[in-house]
Amino acid sequence: MSPQPRVEMRGIHKVYPDGTVALRGVDFRLQQGEIVGLLGENGAGKTTLMKILSGLLRPTRGEIMVDGSLAHFRNPSDALRVGIGMVHQAFNLVPPYTALQNIVLGQEGAGPLASFRTDEPRRRVAALLTETGLEIPLDDPVESMPIGVQQRVEILKTLYRGTSVLILDEPTSALAPVEVHDLSQFLKRLRAGGKSVVFITHKLKEVLELSDRVVVLRNGQVTGEIATVQATPEGLAEMMVGRKVVARVSRAARPPGAPVLVVRDLRAANDQGAPAVKGLSFEVRAGEVFGIAGVEGNGQSELVQALTGLRPPTGGEITLDGTRLLNLNPLELYRRGLGHIPEDKARFGLALNFDLAENSILSRQGERTFLGALGRLNWGRILAYARDLVERFKVLAPNVRTVVRSLSGGNQQRLLVGRELSKQPVVIVAVHPTRGLDIASTVYIRELLMQMRDDGKAVLLISADLDEVVELSDRIAVMYEGVLIGAAKTEEFTREEIGLMMGGITPKGSAYETPASAPAAD
Amino acid sequence: MKRLPLPRPLIESLVTISIGLVAGALLMLLFDYNPVQAYRALFVGAFGSLEDILETLAFATPLMLTALTFAVGVRGGLFNIGAEGQMYLGAIGATFVAGLLPLPPGLHLAAATAAGMLFGALWAVPPALLKAWRGVHEVISTIMCNWIAFYLATYLAINFLAEPGRAERTAPALVTARYPVLTEDASLTAAIFVALAFCLVVYLYLWGTRAGYELRLAGENPDAARYAGVKGGKVILLSFAIGGLAAGLAGATQIIGRPPAWSLYATLGNVITLGFDGIGVALVGRNHPIGGVLAAVLFGALAHGGRFMEYHAGVLSELVRAINGLIVITLAVPELWMLARRRFSR
Repeated sequence: MSPQPRVEMRGIHKVYPDGTVALRGVDFRLQQGEIVGLLGENGAGKTTLMKILSGLLRPTRGEIMVDGSLAHFRNPSDALRVGIGMVHQAFNLVPPYTALQNIVLGQEGAGPLASFRTDEPRRRVAALLTETGLEIPLDDPVESMPIGVQQRVEILKTLYRGTSVLILDEPTSALAPVEVHDLSQFLKRLRAGGKSVVFITHKLKEVLELSDRVVVLRNGQVTGEIATVQATPEGLAEMMVGRKVVARVSRAARPPGAPVLVVRDLRAANDQGAPAVKGLSFEVRAGEVFGIAGVEGNGQSELVQALTGLRPPTGGEITLDGTRLLNLNPLELYRRGLGHIPEDKARFGLALNFDLAENSILSRQGERTFLGALGRLNWGRILAYARDLVERFKVLAPNVRTVVRSLSGGNQQRLLVGRELSKQPVVIVAVHPTRGLDIASTVYIRELLMQMRDDGKAVLLISADLDEVVELSDRIAVMYEGVLIGAAKTEEFTREEIGLMMGGITPKGSAYETPASAPAAD
Repeated sequence: MKRLPLPRPLIESLVTISIGLVAGALLMLLFDYNPVQAYRALFVGAFGSLEDILETLAFATPLMLTALTFAVGVRGGLFNIGAEGQMYLGAIGATFVAGLLPLPPGLHLAAATAAGMLFGALWAVPPALLKAWRGVHEVISTIMCNWIAFYLATYLAINFLAEPGRAERTAPALVTARYPVLTEDASLTAAIFVALAFCLVVYLYLWGTRAGYELRLAGENPDAARYAGVKGGKVILLSFAIGGLAAGLAGATQIIGRPPAWSLYATLGNVITLGFDGIGVALVGRNHPIGGVLAAVLFGALAHGGRFMEYHAGVLSELVRAINGLIVITLAVPELWMLARRRFSR
């Protein structure tokens, strides 16, 4: 390896203002003319590290060297000045502007007439196109272009600013397979031109195809660094997923009951209208936890929203205890026995500026118990119920008239989980139920879910935390790009196999086409 | 019943009002006026005698209602700035029933009041429907409706409701449709009791009923509202309808509850800007129905007492308005800050 790295990051720590520790002493090097894949699960710190390198975030500790000299980036412009540019997952393009206008935007030069002179920039952009081998219609508005082409515009925009270190955040997440192939060709041309590339991903296959070297992050630390030619999917998966030790919740063996929640060929689109859930079939039985693992953004949110009435499915069938449930609103679903612990409690599950009592009846506000004559709220009953929830689910709060915003995340989640469980649901859809919580709350909430299972409820657990899924689930499937890979009893998988599936590699012999059916039936 | 969420906002308001007063004093010093003398004139003018207090309250009456319009909108997550137009229509409704429909005493007053409220509410329905069905932003639609209401009200006042032989105002309310004046020396009428009662009812509705809970939930967190099965369209319609009732009542109080005119000027001069002023009152009152009442009294004091700054301390009327504006702005800062944070935090 050449002695002088193009970029070197040393001992980078990052603690966010809310106390979240994102990076714990990361060293990272990048040579000229090298493509590095930065691999890791959600929350491993990949994006944070690269935002620091591109000047968008400042490290809490640690230093950045560019071409051997110390650099301090106050903002992305500082990083651009030394040739470091980042293309984010969400593009920053002006939709009605043409590709050329978007590429040149902000770089028109000085003078009142600067923006009218398009011939000079056009020549420069055309030269860039030849150099990189990219093809884009320069005079079409960006909004009319498919995502893959928009991405090229975004990359060109960064290159136009003289970037020689290109950082790509999950560049393949929005691309079709053909486009991924094009991207790979393009990256190789960049490398041939002496540029360096870092791309962030969680997909094993792509990191193996596209990179020269792989750096694996887990929980804010580098857990592996390996030349791609020496890497194996199994080895990478283990570096990515690890073997964490946490307090375990015991799961007693118990024969599952009849299927309660049955999903057949469910389809749903994301906010952009693209298919996100591509024909899922599974069932959850009484007295079992069915866990869906997977890296976030593989359609889990859309699946949950389709199940819980927050997003109309585009096809398929959902039945609960034999009754079809489609196109019902969340309230009607709850009346039929569906409890929902949503993925983003601050967004869906709670009104943070309301107090505990008001939040304790959220979604139950129409129930007789809590109402008096003329639709009046029966505050006496509501307060008593809230106090009962606080006591039963060990919520730490000054009193039930305290605004929920002032509670810790763990206590907010206890309140929410308590409310959902006390509705006496038949099925519980729990999404990332312990994300961001302290250990005590995590263990407590997992115990509650096990309690529900032991009481004969059907629990659907969707979590990006593999340990959680393995610990709680009787059966496991992995969600990858809108489909379920391999549903089987938890014991039948090794962690490596699950890690591989999370990275999009189907283990031999698992049922890819018809998940969920055979293994559960024994 | 939920206790009033008042103490902290009240303290904040006291702090901010002192800042506003100091800023106003600096402004006066800059123009060589004596701030102590001027503020004494303001205070004595607004609260110095029973008559002055009643006059202050007369100014406050319509403002607490138009503030309610805006506040109920914000509580439901809407930026309803249509109080102005809804109030014009309320004034027209009241004028029509009070001036042209002879009815028995008692019933006449009630009918005129109800007509004002109903007209105001009806004028609030189109923007609500546009929002619920087509997603038309309520700021745009209510501004448009305000202008339509302005010309519609002027047209109706001149062509159909004008007092015979006098073009500048409408037929005055018949005696049977007038709220009783409380004392001969001030223009406050019993209309204030209706306004206060309405504010109280809305407060109880918002914090004491299921529908009010759902309205506040939709304003506080629309996603959680969806999760709780709240129907967005219903909330929009309700919030606008309540706001329209309040604004309509505000318009009506200026016709059948405010001597000496007892009628609508063809220029709309005796109602104009009351709706917009309500936005400021609501912000000062923290978008709370009861807070709005207190803030309206403050605005009334500035409006009535401000005249005495001019008479007794010789402060130029333009400067009086600037000083009042300063006080109002500083008072509105905390709530504006909250609103801005909520809007831009997502």
